[in-house]
Amino acid sequence: MTFRWDIIIEYLPYLLQGTLLTIGLSLGSIILGSVLGLFIGLGRIISNKILSSLFYCYITIFRGTPLLVQIFLIHFGVVPLFAGETNAVIAGVIALSLNAAAYIAEIFRAGIQSIDRGQMEGARSLGMTHSQAMRYIILPQAFKRMVPPLGNEFIVLLKDSSLLSVIAAPELMYWGRAMGGQYFKVWEPYLASAFIYLVLTITLSSLLNLLERRLKTV
Amino acid sequence: MKKRSFLFFVIISTFLLILSACGTSSSKDATSTEGEESSEKNSLRIVTNAAYAPFEYFDGDKIVGFDVDLINALAEETGYEVEIEHVGWDPIFVEIESNRADLSIGAITINDERKQTFDFSHPYFLSTNKILVPEDSAIQSGEELKGHIVAVQTGTTGSEAVEKLLGKNHKDIKKFEDNNIAIQELLQGGAAAVVADNTVVEEYVKNNSDQKLKVVEDSSSFEQEFYGFMFPKGSKLKAEFDQALNTLYDNGTYVEIYEKWFGVEPNLETLKEQQ
Repeated sequence: MTFRWDIIIEYLPYLLQGTLLTIGLSLGSIILGSVLGLFIGLGRIISNKILSSLFYCYITIFRGTPLLVQIFLIHFGVVPLFAGETNAVIAGVIALSLNAAAYIAEIFRAGIQSIDRGQMEGARSLGMTHSQAMRYIILPQAFKRMVPPLGNEFIVLLKDSSLLSVIAAPELMYWGRAMGGQYFKVWEPYLASAFIYLVLTITLSSLLNLLERRLKTV
Repeated sequence: MKKRSFLFFVIISTFLLILSACGTSSSKDATSTEGEESSEKNSLRIVTNAAYAPFEYFDGDKIVGFDVDLINALAEETGYEVEIEHVGWDPIFVEIESNRADLSIGAITINDERKQTFDFSHPYFLSTNKILVPEDSAIQSGEELKGHIVAVQTGTTGSEAVEKLLGKNHKDIKKFEDNNIAIQELLQGGAAAVVADNTVVEEYVKNNSDQKLKVVEDSSSFEQEFYGFMFPKGSKLKAEFDQALNTLYDNGTYVEIYEKWFGVEPNLETLKEQQ
């Protein structure tokens, strides 16, 4: 068996095109997922038991079922319900964001709860309102602690976007599989796409490292 | 510092790429000598994807189907004992290419691309791709698929046939892991048609009459396809099985098995012409 570089070169334009979509899907889902995650994470720590249990239900459902199943359900069930037809890219962003939001919510909750109670008391006694204290005192400190787990989550999300190939979203893995399907080869497509994912995750983690260093106070 | 560690990773991964390529080629050499020994042994390891009724599928924990009956008859004829194992579609090709299995059954279409890597028996089944569309669809031929989104299964001849019509990796072609998901995409309005082997689409329509789908035949756009048993390149089994297949053609066993599974008589002349 020979390693066929020629088929990698042949598929390179598709792989790169797929890489762009992978980046787009991941960035979109990271942003949407973080906003939604912050909202759900805050909802999880409000004192109203009924409301907070709703958010807890959300987390349980999305963290407790496989992402692959969620992708299928959203692609074949939810999106056609609203749009009338399937759309793999939209379904992909929705599934990834909703799934990531459940994990990000817990990261936010843990970050906020890790800040000493005294910080809130101090801010309040300076005359800040609860939301001011949250915005200027608690969240900035919490955010610093949340960067490493958030980075983890973003990297997982980027790799999980490869699951979208099952609903034919033309991202990186989709083209890898198309290449394997055409030539009945496994090493070339999987190693080539693994290499590109590796480059993407290394880039992402070095960006996160940079952010971490920026946030360093001492 | 960062830059250097990035370079380091690039070097390491390139290394891995090269290593894996070498690794597989040397392991092939090792197993091919084993393969020669195994042609003396009497038991064959057969791999299949048992999810393709009526060719091979699970009935309880047993693999049954047309291919299974035929290969058992061939094994009896050649005097081998066979052991059929379900490994899935893509792994079939890996198992055979690396000589870990002696032959593969699985409604595998013989084509030139596959022939570069594998050996095939004489054709034993004739098949064509057909178009599955909603009952009210205006699509009546392969040509009319242009401008519509077509769902196919990755790596199948249906996928190839559509690429020939629309263009390779055309944006209107959606490739799925299996025909079931492709058909689901059609049902939810994400595609206008599915192109797949006639047996697949016809079985689907027969079993799901409530979905309001119909099958469109187009013998000018879709060529005749022939299924063959797949062997590792250079396998000595090919000659034995080809001969046995002709015996089964002549003594009526093949016809008997064919009629049992498809309810009609096979076209033996077309199959023999291909040899």
